[in-house]
Amino acid sequence: MRHSVVLALAVAGALAVAGGALALWPIGTPVSVAALEGDAQRGAYLARAGGCIACHSDPGSGRPALTGGAAIETGFGRFVPPNITPHDTAGIGAWSIEDFARAVRQGIAPDGAPYYPAFPYPFYGDLSDQDIVDMWAAFQTVPPQDMVAQGHEVGFPLNLRFGLKLWRAAYASKSVMQPDPSRDAAWNRGRWLVNGLAHCGACHTDRNLVGGRRPDRFLMGSDDLPEGGKAPAITPDALRRAGWNETALAFALKSGVKPDGDTFGGGMGEVVQHGTAWLTAEDQTAIAVYLLDRDGADE
Amino acid sequence: MTYKLMIAGLCATGLAAGAWAHSGAMGVVMERMDAMKAMGDAVKRIKPMMSGEAVYDAAAVQAAAHVIAEEAGAAMTGKFPEGSGGGVSEALPAVWSDRARFAALARDLEVTARGLEHAAQNGTHGAGHMSGDLSGMMGGTSGMMGGGMMGTDHMSGAMSVEHIGQMPADGAFVMMTQVCSACHDRFREDK
Repeated sequence: MRHSVVLALAVAGALAVAGGALALWPIGTPVSVAALEGDAQRGAYLARAGGCIACHSDPGSGRPALTGGAAIETGFGRFVPPNITPHDTAGIGAWSIEDFARAVRQGIAPDGAPYYPAFPYPFYGDLSDQDIVDMWAAFQTVPPQDMVAQGHEVGFPLNLRFGLKLWRAAYASKSVMQPDPSRDAAWNRGRWLVNGLAHCGACHTDRNLVGGRRPDRFLMGSDDLPEGGKAPAITPDALRRAGWNETALAFALKSGVKPDGDTFGGGMGEVVQHGTAWLTAEDQTAIAVYLLDRDGADE
Repeated sequence: MTYKLMIAGLCATGLAAGAWAHSGAMGVVMERMDAMKAMGDAVKRIKPMMSGEAVYDAAAVQAAAHVIAEEAGAAMTGKFPEGSGGGVSEALPAVWSDRARFAALARDLEVTARGLEHAAQNGTHGAGHMSGDLSGMMGGTSGMMGGGMMGTDHMSGAMSVEHIGQMPADGAFVMMTQVCSACHDRFREDK
């Protein structure tokens, strides 16, 4: 009896020390991008392509764009995309450009807390300093809105954000993509979009029990998306079997029309309407080129 | 005699069951599945003209748009009466719990399809670029970062048949098919 109490205390003590160490473990790397000149037009294009606007807006609510998105119900909790208009208190108006760069590319809030991976920052690590500066310039053109989005609802122990540092270490460490010189520019652009900004794998790659993407299931589809959603496989074989070719796939990213005349649903309609439809025809084609012609796991 | 009748009866029952099993749907559920199929077929006929894979045919585009317009709006909502969900139906409960939004999208489909009927004669824009068409139309710098059309997933009367009728046909087509997708996103179970 006495021994088990001592043991329990010892375990609790060890956990507390480990937790404390984890809480103090510094994450992220310093950034400095302020020397560059931002192009708001280009930044808005990237913000659209990356889903910033789609996810942080709630078309059904009647609220202005970027004042916070519809809640995402997941097995880990309920996540509400926050207001990212440049309002000083309700949005990101008090942030520095370095705060913004760290948040987007490294998934770390200005106060140093790691974000939940409902925010797909692991895909944004490939954004260049120029991309970040352009996006920042675009956000400055948005009217500030004093509307505070609801907070996340996450149970214990996931509500202890420092635990996310372990998740980051396991799943968010990603080396920056280098262009493949054996492929043409369109293919490399498509690869950069699919595996980066457009974050196709956020839904089309299945995740493990803790929400990390499974490299062995790269773009092979998932049937356990939030709220019972499904995403089909988008491997070259699967796409060709379903009747896709480059022209049809590129056009679908604008129109939502599938080879059989049906149109997308299950959330892909929104991805098209507020995301891929705004891409240039060249970028839509680049995505199709890469998806239909790539080899193996490539991320 | 009775025996023969029984066999005939069994055969008839078998045939009926076979017919039911074939479509998997009956009554209003089958009607709306047929309507969706007819619209999908219409889209499939003209999509290659919009994506540049086939030669443009204004009459074919107008006819396909007409098929869709006739199935949209009240014709569509009327095929989703209260209590007709479940079973083989792919309609999600939101069709009835979020009726206003469902009806608004059905209306948008009618507006965009009627618009495409008129736009058919305009031919395609070539690149048919949606953002170009829209940003030109909505104007303002806020449109760049999600103003304009972004506030809602249905148009709430923002665009009329006449406006859409002046667009290049591929622009009108894309507006229409995005309404299809917006509705499928929210109201159709993805198998």
